[in-house]
Order: sequence, then C-alpha cells, then structure tokens
Amino acid sequence: MPVSVRSKLLLFACLAGTLALAVSATAFAGNGGFAPVEGASPNSDRIKEAYNLVAIFTGAILVLVEGLLIAFIIRFRRKGRARDAEGARIHGNTRLEIVWTVAPALILVAIGGFVFYKLPGISDVPPATAAGGRLEVQVEGRQFFWQFRYPNGVIAVDRLRAPVGQTVRLEVTSPDHDVIHSWWIPALGGKIDAIPGTVNVTWFRAKRPGTFIGQCAEFCGVQHAVMTAAVEAMPRGEFEAWLAAEKDAQAVGKSKLGADTFAGACASCHGLAGEGLIGPALQGSSLLSDAKGIETLVRAGRGRMPAVGKGWTDTQMKALTSYLKENLGNKG
Amino acid sequence: MATRAELPGPERPVPGWQRGRVASWLVTVDHKRIGIMYIATSLVFFLAGGLLALLMRTQLATPNEEFLTRDSYNQVMTIHGTTMIFLVIVPILAGFGNYLLPLMIGARDVAFPRLNALSYWLFLFGGIILMLSFLADGGAAKSGWTSYPPLSVQSPGNGQDLWILSLHILTIASLLGAINFICTIHNMRTAGMSWTRMPLFVWSLEVYAVLLVLVLPTLAAGLTLLLLDRQVGTHFFAPGDGGSPVLYQHVFWFFGHPEVYIMVLPAMGIISEVIPVFSRKPIFGYKAVAFSTAAIAFFSMLVWAHHMFTVGMPVYLDGFFMVTSMVIAIPTGVKIFNWLATLWRGNISFDTPMLFALGFISVFTIGGLSGIFVAAFPIDWQVHDTYYIVAHFHYVLFGGSMLAIFAGLFYWWPKMFGRLLDERLGKLTFWLVFVGFNTTFFPQHLLGLLGMPRRIYTYDQGGLWEAYNLVSTIGSYIMGLGILILVANVIKTTRNGRRAGNDPWLADTLEWYPTSPPPEWNFTSVPYVTSARPLYDLRRRLKEQGDL
Repeated sequence: MPVSVRSKLLLFACLAGTLALAVSATAFAGNGGFAPVEGASPNSDRIKEAYNLVAIFTGAILVLVEGLLIAFIIRFRRKGRARDAEGARIHGNTRLEIVWTVAPALILVAIGGFVFYKLPGISDVPPATAAGGRLEVQVEGRQFFWQFRYPNGVIAVDRLRAPVGQTVRLEVTSPDHDVIHSWWIPALGGKIDAIPGTVNVTWFRAKRPGTFIGQCAEFCGVQHAVMTAAVEAMPRGEFEAWLAAEKDAQAVGKSKLGADTFAGACASCHGLAGEGLIGPALQGSSLLSDAKGIETLVRAGRGRMPAVGKGWTDTQMKALTSYLKENLGNKG
Repeated sequence: MATRAELPGPERPVPGWQRGRVASWLVTVDHKRIGIMYIATSLVFFLAGGLLALLMRTQLATPNEEFLTRDSYNQVMTIHGTTMIFLVIVPILAGFGNYLLPLMIGARDVAFPRLNALSYWLFLFGGIILMLSFLADGGAAKSGWTSYPPLSVQSPGNGQDLWILSLHILTIASLLGAINFICTIHNMRTAGMSWTRMPLFVWSLEVYAVLLVLVLPTLAAGLTLLLLDRQVGTHFFAPGDGGSPVLYQHVFWFFGHPEVYIMVLPAMGIISEVIPVFSRKPIFGYKAVAFSTAAIAFFSMLVWAHHMFTVGMPVYLDGFFMVTSMVIAIPTGVKIFNWLATLWRGNISFDTPMLFALGFISVFTIGGLSGIFVAAFPIDWQVHDTYYIVAHFHYVLFGGSMLAIFAGLFYWWPKMFGRLLDERLGKLTFWLVFVGFNTTFFPQHLLGLLGMPRRIYTYDQGGLWEAYNLVSTIGSYIMGLGILILVANVIKTTRNGRRAGNDPWLADTLEWYPTSPPPEWNFTSVPYVTSARPLYDLRRRLKEQGDL
C-alpha cells in the first residue's frame, strides 16, 4: 500500500475512533440510542430482549466480516509487487460455499426461533381475567391529535392517564374521513397503525408511575411532526379516583376537556393562543361566540381544514365551544 | 481469444443534418451514446436530489429550526426520495447496462436500438415532469415517495397527479429498457459466450430486467387506481365506501421491495467486476455469485409485507414475511463472503474504483445486518417508520448502490471517454463521501431507537436528539463536498485527463477489447470467447507468443 493511502487510512481510523468514542460515551451515559429506550411495560422489555439477542449475533458477524476485510486489505495489498502480477489462481471452493450458506442459515433459525418464543408475551393481550384485571380504551388517531375514550365515556385528548400495574388494552383506529396514523409510545411497546376502517389492538402494562411520551409514527400530513401523545401512569387508586371525578366534571362541563381539545385539535394549526399558523387566527373572531357555527365548521371541515370534530360527542363539542368563547372571544 | 470474421462495420447513409454536434446526439440510436445520456442525466438528477437532501438536513440540524416551511419540507422529502429511486439509481444502472451490455457480450448494439432511444427520451420527459411539479398549483407531491392513501388521495393541488403521471412515464421507459436488455442478453451473445461465461454484471442486468418486467405493471396498476380515486371519485382505497387503504400498501410494496433489489443487484454486479480486477484474481465462486443473484431476486418477490408489520396483519403472516426476509440474508451473505475470498491471496491495488468497492462491502454489510433487526417483526414494531429505517435503507441504497455506482463510474469512465478521471481527486472524493456517509447515517440508527419518527419536519427535543441530528447534518455537508470534488474532477479531466489505452486496468472482460471509446459498431470483428475472462486469456497468449 502506498504511504499516502496508509496515512489516510490511519487518519481515518483516528477520526472514526474519536467520533465513536465521543458518541458512545454520551450515548451510554443516558442509554441513548444503542438499544430501544428503557422499557416500562412487559412487551417493550421483551422486544428489547429480542433486540439484544439479534445484536449479539449480528455484532459477531459484523466483526467477522469487517475484520476479514481489513485483514485481507492489509495482508494482500500490492506493496512492492508489480501492478500486473497475478494473484493466486483460485476459482472457488465448494466446501467453503456450503459453510457460509449453512452457518448463517443456522443463526437465522436461532434468531427466528427466539422471536417466536418471545412473541406471545409481546403480541398477545393478557386476558381480562388475569390478576389486576384489564382496562379497555378506544384510541382514535386524527389529523393531528389522539383522542381516547374510557369505558365510562370519559374523553381525553393527547394525554392518556392509565393505572400502574393494570393491563391497558387499546383499540386503535382512525375515522373513515381521516388518514393513517401510527400509535407509538416507545417505552410502552411497539407501534400499531391507526387505519381508517380497521380496528387494531395493542396493549401495555405500566410498571411504574411516570409520563411516557411518543408521537405519531405514520406520515399523516402537514402537522405530522407535532402529533404527540403522552401516557401518564399513576397509582391505581389515584387513577380510579381521577376517572370517576373526570366523569362528573365532563357531565357538568367543568373539566379541562375543552382546553385539551383546543390544544390537540385546534392549536396545531391555529396556534396555542389562537394566533394563527397554518390556519387563520382565531383570536377575536366573531365566529367564536357562535357555538352553532363553530360546531358546523368543526364537524364538517372547510377547505384545507379537516373535519376534526366529526363524530365528537355533544359533551366534547360543548366543552370546546365554551372554551373558545371564554378564552379567545372578544373580552368584555 | 481469437477473432471471427464477421460483417464489416455498418454503413448506413446519415443525412447531413443529423451529423451536427448536438443533432447527432438527439437522433442517436447507438447504445453507447444512449448509455452516456442516461448516466449524465441521472447524475444531474443526483445533484438535484442531493441538494434536496441537504435542504432537509439543514432544516433538521437544530430543534425547531425554521429553514424550510413544513409544507415545503414535505414536498422536498417526497421529491428527494422519488428522484433518487426513479431518476437516479434505476436509470443510471440502465445507463451502465446500455453502455456495457453489448460490449460485454460481444454484440454491436442492443436488440432494439430505436426502442432504446425511446426509453431514454421517456425517462428524461418523466424526470422533467417530476422536477417541474414544484411549480404546480399547491406545489409538488407531499405524501412521501410511498404516497399512501388516504393521505395521497386527499392531498390538494396537482402535485400528486403530476407525480403519478411522471411515474407512469418512467414505468413505461423502464419496461421498454428491461425488455430490450432481456432480448439482447438472450439472443446476441457472441460465439462461445455461454451463460456461465457471461460477466457477472450481465447476470445482474438480466435479473434486474426480469424483476422490472415482473413488478412494474403492479406499480402502474396501483398508480392508476390512485389516480382514479383522486380524480374520478372511485373508492378503491377509500374506507367507508368498501375500499381499503391497506390494499394500496400491498400493491405498492409488491413492486417496492423487488425495486430495492432492482437497485442493489446491478450494483453488486459492478462490485463483482471491480473486485477481481484490482485483486488480480478471478472472482471466487462465479456460479455461487451468479446463482445468489437469482435467488435474491426470487425471494425479493415474497417479502413485500415486511414493510407493513404495523398495519395489524395476523401474526402468522408477520411470521411468514419475517422468515422470507431473513432467507434473503443467506444469498446476500454468500456474495459478501465470495468477495472477501476474492481478495484473499490477491495482489490488491487501491485505485479509486477499488476504494469504492471496498467501501461498499464495509457499509453494505451494516445495511444488511440492520435488515435482520427490522425483519424480526416485534423489533420492527419499535423501529418501523423511525430514523432507524431511514439509516437502514440509506446504508443499502447509498452505502450500497451509490458507492458501487461511483466505483463503476471511475472504473468505466476511461472506456467511455478515453481519459481517466484524476486519481488524487478521486481518492479525495472517496474519503469525503465515505466518512461523510457514515457520519450522516450512522447516528440516524440511534435517533430511531430514541424515538424519532421519519418524515417529521422538525422536533422539539434537545440533548441526544439535537446532538445526533447536528452530527448527521455535518456529515451530509462532508458528502456534499466530496460530490463537488467529483464534479471538479470531471471538468478537469475532460481536457487534460490521462489518456487510457484499450484496457487501463488490465481487466478481463470484453468491453476492454476495443478502443476507448469504442467505435460506433463496437467490434470490427466480433470476438469469440473460450472462458469467462477473454482478455486474461488474450494477455496470456500474447505473453506466451512473446516468450517463444
């Protein structure tokens, strides 16, 4: 190998090494990115176990291939030989071909077998009769917010409160007039698409209290990037108390549902203060005091505005219209 | 190698107006000129698509950046992907195929030269429509290169319709070209050129062309249904009216996954040509390499729904597509090990084509191995539609296909133009592109695992998200610099590049037999061959005669 190439290789090796060290140091400090994020639910833990197993096998193959490549490059470089000096006259070796066909096949059988072994614990929703019982929540992906419905009729937007230690079964879909979204909270398991006309099922069981964030993973249009979701896991007693209180509050129109609906369904296009963004400014609009007009607009959409409120309950619609009137309408 | 007397060079009367410097290119049916036009046009589109990529990386360099608007980001993202796939990798491989196929098999042209010209002009036309769609009412298409309904059906303006039109035209262009390749390979090989003596690049072109013929009609059908849903009010993909948006995904990926191998197999063919020449050895396991090409193509038609693991298919289907996807890793591994074995006990020179080929092996391996993760569908449930996938397919399509294309460009340039590209600048391009590529795309694996979805125009998170994104953007600029130096290299060597003889790399295949560039009719007397390495035989015979 000519000196210039060798020095460049060396330079590159140093550069790459420094970069790798710098990146891995920061990354391992916060478990940042060399494996799926720290799980908070049994299914995400099992996915991570599968990931780690695949990483061991593929890591070994990577080291083998790159090692051989570098070793051969160094060992069989031209050095002093004439440019046209022929290498060894070898055309192949059947035994070697068999080895490097069968060995990877065996590795893949091992990986595939482990995946199928772990699969029930990842994809099967634990039965309702299991210890701790099960909470069923309907999830709707919409442009550009997540809407949740609890068994007792409570509606929530973008933030799903859930009990720790209880299985939460999610029925994920999207309304017929909407587009495809994908539900994903990395710490709580894999993603599942919210597809118009289809109901998909997934689940999680939060191991600890905390707020776990995620965002829509299927490109869904102009505000795909801000279609975020959060799951707030809280102790079971606290959750049940909240759910009961929220039911009463929504019934009498004293909940935060209006504000949450505005923040999820309206603000991504009209701004958090209704100052206008993709859609026009809402502040001070004369329409704000016209609850009926708003309802028609929100339920049907207009021009580029999607029918965000199609299918909403009257409770949610009323919560939004009164929020708009009180917070964005002409004061005084 | 000996030569066989054949018909003299074709003499057809050429009208005067067709002899002009520009006019002669406009009316040409010569496969070499058409090949060069394909390659040149694709490279111009490559610069355009690369510029779009740099715009996106600039927008994503820091959180809440406002370099691009969200609407224009989505257009740029859609057209970048569509351009790189349909206007760069597929047609530039068709360009190499056009230029090299007849030369490599000892033919005077492709089977249907005029059809060949039609393919090229349709390709150019389709490409111009796609680029000009930025000027359409509502801007260019903005539903991603996959254009899933209902989003793509609801997308306002005409950008999406022009995208469909452009792809329809490109599909016809590719189909005509593919049929032409198949007919040429089957019918026009020179005497002695049996299937097991064909250059491996020709093998890969055969498989590339067969795959195109098999899957392009599916894409065309899907696009037609999409257009009908948009413009005529049909409901093929509309839920609520009996249609299914998931149907489109099946149709699209039945085309889309073989398309990946359409882009990768000829690139592997280039690698199988370059590695032996610069190792001064025959390819290790010729038959294994050729057969693995066909095996990959066969299995590539059985894996499409691994792009759809999150749509909620029954688990047994997920399992089926996992197994078929993993099976593809086996013939791919066979290729990589055969290339490594070709290096073994060789006499390796590090000219620019070889650097790109070795770079290909090192990064394509990473792209292949990350493919095992995403084939295991529970893992895919985590990484699907994230930057992990973006990293994975760029390791395959840039680290794989594009590095091989650069290898081919530096390798065959002297044959096409009679002058070598500058080696010093070439090596600089290699190192900048190689380092820049890894700096750009390796951190994107980590971003995906951290939870960053693809196709978002901005993000709010600081910390590692910000750090990796910034590193990635810096890498893309380094790559951009490498490409600029390639452009400078082309300009510089056009006038004063070192002249290449017939066979500057001491290669073994027939395209190096005629002069550089070859005459219009390629071979004055069409050679016949007695092995897979006719020029090696020729050199040996000349040496033996000299020794006598």
